[in-house]
Amino acid sequence: MTQMTSFQIAIKPSRRAAGRFVSRVRTALQRALVEEGERRGVNQSKIAEEIGVHRSVISRELNGRQDITLGRVAELASALGREIEFALVSPKARDGQNVPLAKPEAVQVQNIHQFSKPVGPVTRSTEAPVMELTT
Amino acid sequence: MATLLELEQRGDVVRFVPSLAWNEYEDRRIFLLPHAKDWIENVLPTLGSTWNIEISPEEQLDTLFYDFCSGKALAVGKRFSKLHPRENGIWELKTADLRVFGWFQPKDCFLVTACNGAEVIKHHKLYRGYCDDAVRLRNNLDLNEPKYVSGDDPNDVVSDCY
Repeated sequence: MTQMTSFQIAIKPSRRAAGRFVSRVRTALQRALVEEGERRGVNQSKIAEEIGVHRSVISRELNGRQDITLGRVAELASALGREIEFALVSPKARDGQNVPLAKPEAVQVQNIHQFSKPVGPVTRSTEAPVMELTT
Repeated sequence: MATLLELEQRGDVVRFVPSLAWNEYEDRRIFLLPHAKDWIENVLPTLGSTWNIEISPEEQLDTLFYDFCSGKALAVGKRFSKLHPRENGIWELKTADLRVFGWFQPKDCFLVTACNGAEVIKHHKLYRGYCDDAVRLRNNLDLNEPKYVSGDDPNDVVSDCY
């Protein structure tokens, strides 16, 4: 007897977006730390010293056991020798796709930077805001 | 003996459906044993974060499963990894608050046997129990041989792990 069942985690779209965005920011910081570590020996201790906190704070923040504020993201980026590019973009509208109308106060930005490794041509995504840490 | 699809048709495993954007593909798949699915549906939503962080355990799992299924990197270097080998082909996916146990068969396809709070597992020293339980469930599952992908390097079990 066939009884194909499937399963989704039922959370609000806004909370789903929040979880994914936080994860992407954290991954960007981790990646920048690893890259700068290979390039010029930067480590969590040096970052902590530059920012003025204990190394364990940086470890908890980078491993997701402590929230990272927007200000701390900027501090970490600065300590890693990186700049931040940030964009809020309107979802790409496609024929036949239901796309929520942008609210009047939505920020319109010209440059779009895909955060994750693109598969094929880089295009606009319907995902939440993207962030990139660049040298 | 049955294929994974046949097990799904029988209801012996349940397929997880990720919420992907229109331009994303399901590069990897997750299946759950029914009791693991039941725990995620009924218990997980009631849990708060041990670390008192903004993203709840349920939201953490949603993001973890999304990252897994959409083919995102599961590790950055050697020090930041969401995927860890245990023993006997059992693997652990992790978030700040959760541990997810299971095995891979085939590569890029993770079968979840259990999920629980990290603090509970550590406090009650349950790692061994969950791993042994996963092996027992795997042995009892009417799945074609070989039942799991062997190897303890993440590249053995997932593509593009890093």
